[in-house]
Amino acid sequence: MRKIETEVLVIGGGATGTGVVYDLAQRGFKTILVEKRDLTHGTTGRYHGLLHSGGRYVVKDPKAATECIEENIVLRKIMPHCLEDTSGFFVCTPWDDPAFGDKFMQGCRDTGVPCEEISVAQMLREEPHLNPNISRCFRVPDGSADSFLATQVVAEGARQYGAQILTYHELKTLIREGDRITGAICHDLVADEDVTILADMVVNASGAWAGKIAHTGGVEGNVRAGKGTMVALSYRIINTVVNRCKMPADGDIIVPIHTVSVIGTTDEAVPDPEHFAIEPWEVQLMLQEADKLVPGFSEMRILRAWAGVRPLYQETKVADTRDVTRAYTLLDHEKRDGLQGFITITGGKWTTYRQMAQVTADRVCEKLNTQRACRTHEEVLPHPFEPGHNTYYHTLGARLARTEANQSFGSLVCECELASRSDIERAINEGEAKTLDDIRRDVRMGMGPCQGGFCTLRTIGIWHQLHKLPIEKANVALRDFLQERWKGLLPILWGAQLKQERLDELIYLSVLNADHLPGEKASRLGPAMYEKGTIEQNPDAVI
Amino acid sequence: MSTQNDVLVVGAGLAGLTAVWQLATQQKKVRLVSKGWGATHWHSGCIDVLGYYPVDDPEPVASPGVTLAKLIADQPEHPYALVGVSGVEAALNAFQALCAAAGYPLHGSLDKNWLLPSAVGTFRPTCLAPETMIAGDLRRDDPMLIVGIKQMVDFYPNIIAENLVKQGVDAAHVTVDLPQLAQRNFTTLTIMASLLEDDGLRADLVRRIQPHLGPARRVGLPAYLGRRPSLDIKKDLEARLGVAVFEIPGLPPSLPGMRLHTILLQAIERAGGRVYHGLEGVGIERDGERVTAVFTEAAARHKPHRFERYVVATGGILGGGIVTNHQGQAREVVFDLPVTLPESRLDWFEQDFMDPKGHPIYQAGLKVNQQFQPLNGGSQPVYQNVYAAGTALSHGEVIRERSFEGVALATGFAVGHLLAKNAQP
Repeated sequence: MRKIETEVLVIGGGATGTGVVYDLAQRGFKTILVEKRDLTHGTTGRYHGLLHSGGRYVVKDPKAATECIEENIVLRKIMPHCLEDTSGFFVCTPWDDPAFGDKFMQGCRDTGVPCEEISVAQMLREEPHLNPNISRCFRVPDGSADSFLATQVVAEGARQYGAQILTYHELKTLIREGDRITGAICHDLVADEDVTILADMVVNASGAWAGKIAHTGGVEGNVRAGKGTMVALSYRIINTVVNRCKMPADGDIIVPIHTVSVIGTTDEAVPDPEHFAIEPWEVQLMLQEADKLVPGFSEMRILRAWAGVRPLYQETKVADTRDVTRAYTLLDHEKRDGLQGFITITGGKWTTYRQMAQVTADRVCEKLNTQRACRTHEEVLPHPFEPGHNTYYHTLGARLARTEANQSFGSLVCECELASRSDIERAINEGEAKTLDDIRRDVRMGMGPCQGGFCTLRTIGIWHQLHKLPIEKANVALRDFLQERWKGLLPILWGAQLKQERLDELIYLSVLNADHLPGEKASRLGPAMYEKGTIEQNPDAVI
Repeated sequence: MSTQNDVLVVGAGLAGLTAVWQLATQQKKVRLVSKGWGATHWHSGCIDVLGYYPVDDPEPVASPGVTLAKLIADQPEHPYALVGVSGVEAALNAFQALCAAAGYPLHGSLDKNWLLPSAVGTFRPTCLAPETMIAGDLRRDDPMLIVGIKQMVDFYPNIIAENLVKQGVDAAHVTVDLPQLAQRNFTTLTIMASLLEDDGLRADLVRRIQPHLGPARRVGLPAYLGRRPSLDIKKDLEARLGVAVFEIPGLPPSLPGMRLHTILLQAIERAGGRVYHGLEGVGIERDGERVTAVFTEAAARHKPHRFERYVVATGGILGGGIVTNHQGQAREVVFDLPVTLPESRLDWFEQDFMDPKGHPIYQAGLKVNQQFQPLNGGSQPVYQNVYAAGTALSHGEVIRERSFEGVALATGFAVGHLLAKNAQP
């Protein structure tokens, strides 16, 4: 068995885990991060992409609101290239209590979230598709965030400081010696072998999986999973984040991100972060709520649905509460459970990931009896493949402008998302892609209206041509990716998108006969499907 | 030629074009209106009749004629059951004669499926293949070289050859550089097909392939050997290379499919039929159980087309003739005919994209009687003068079966014949 030693082992390749490993590496620690699939495979890659202004929490959770606005300002400084400066609206629709608007304004003043009321006429000039019956509109500094790219740049920053990032390394068990966690045994899914990693400290940053991970070390984490379902519209119907001006509820936000608009989300407790369904009533509810903000939304072309799992932490023991806020939780297992060498950071939001990482790294310093200051709020993160492009916000037209500047129309591999052959080749040559889905997270191929209809064959062809993928693996990688796209289509297939999928069947089955490719039909790197939905759970749902 | 307006066909896929072709050649006054081009532009340009049956049997059907008889016995509601094996054969024969006369022969018969290389190197069963493809026959054992072009993103000879080798075929691959293409913003299949009209480019292509020929006795290329239904480019390349050349169809748009479209259009126009692409059928006018007009929309004009009889050949979910919504309903878009489909949206799909039996929703379509008249729930036709053909018909999994063109051609042909033969009811 391979054996590696390090100072700090971080478990989880989402925003929090990569944030922690970057912070630690920057402070000079020798670190390793393990992630069971690719970076952002978990909740980070499955949220709506909101950069919170804090507006959402000003009434319900003022402390969280203040954290959000503080971090909003920091992230705009250190990773503008991962953000779109869309700004955000909070709007009172005819279904909302008009008195909430005043509470909202007061909350913004109390928490330091910048807010300005604008006229409905002005709102409609900026976003003509919004419901004209909206009675009030408040502008806040919301934005949208590319959580794939952001995590990638944080990971790249960590690598530049010497951190080692091991994707497709699934934790099998923590190694416990008496009252101390001394490392973990992981399974390398690609090489299909176990790896032992020994560390002075282990940080559990695995989000909704934190309870499961802690359990392998013999402690109970009390972390449960709360599922949120989101639905993407195939168009950028709005260019501003639009929130309902009311207490947080299901389907209260539409986020414009890259080429789509995302409505989110539901909040349902699920017993297992791995196995759950996108229920038909959730999709119907999202469409129904979206119609209240943008009339006609439900009749437009829906592209995809997905669900992520939030960590829900419920403490039952007397815990160390110094760093605990309602937004996130740091569990010091030495104080809590008498177990040394192990801390858990969980909860929180993407927007506050950096602050969570800072608090965690501070605690690691304390545990390892050293004092090293945090600098993550000062240092601008690199752009992973376009040096110098990390000083300004991303805009929707950027890819088209680049394609035009390079006159690279003919080498577009994904016409929907304007990903060129050189983008794909870079992702293969410089990235650590193990599946087509990893390349997708890098360059967005397959994320547009045709959902991989054309670019799946092209990307596999290029990958194989570069001699980086033997034919057996190319065959199954093609099937895995088509299945991965199908996974997110199943809950929303009707109308134009159903027609599109039949065309994709025509291409891959009828013309290419890819269902009869030699070799295995699915690999262990293939997608884990959502479970089949039922209508019984919500008899009121209109199916 | 008849003086009254006999038949209006809606939809310009293989089914609609074939029906109009048959009607026009039998002196009927016909018009075809369509929203756009049909599925000919997406498919392989071969005529698949039955490639897999039962659909989850991994072995391809050896003889489509024999297996077709079994399918019809098993599935009395299948579109093929409306025409029978003899009906399929009549349609294939007539279409083969048409294509041969156009100088672009389709080879094959119901006796035996071809096995031709696909663009990912699988064995693709098909019934009729154009002469531009048949040298790819995988039952032959002479070595082949698959040739790609560096400047194209749609064709990967390495995948094709390596998969063929894995399945026992003697295949090699090469990607050649045609630097003159680098100056172009695009090098798509359609552009290559136009460029290959040029003698100089053909000579250059051959010059770059020749050093890699080795033992190969045949050369596989992307399906770009000309826009027109002609064998000129293929024959010229063969003469220069000294070996056989064949096309491998891949990502749409499909030049071989467009060639079939062209052949049919020319036949229709020769016979006096009229085809209008760009007129979307949007509704009807009726008088009791008869339809008296179909309305189309184009250039902001609502235009009536008044004919004695009407044919729905708008395709199913793929063609756009049937549209579904998030409430789990389906609608036939021109005549609002009842659509057969699974009751609950939860039953529309299986969990795997490539499910071997297919997703139940794709069998949604129009249920018809023996005269191809769409039925109203029970056994009564909805209208006395409306007929349906092609993949708008229910109860066929045409993609899993590999029967997409076969169903379109055979039912389009049968409806054309039926309406040409029958006096007005």
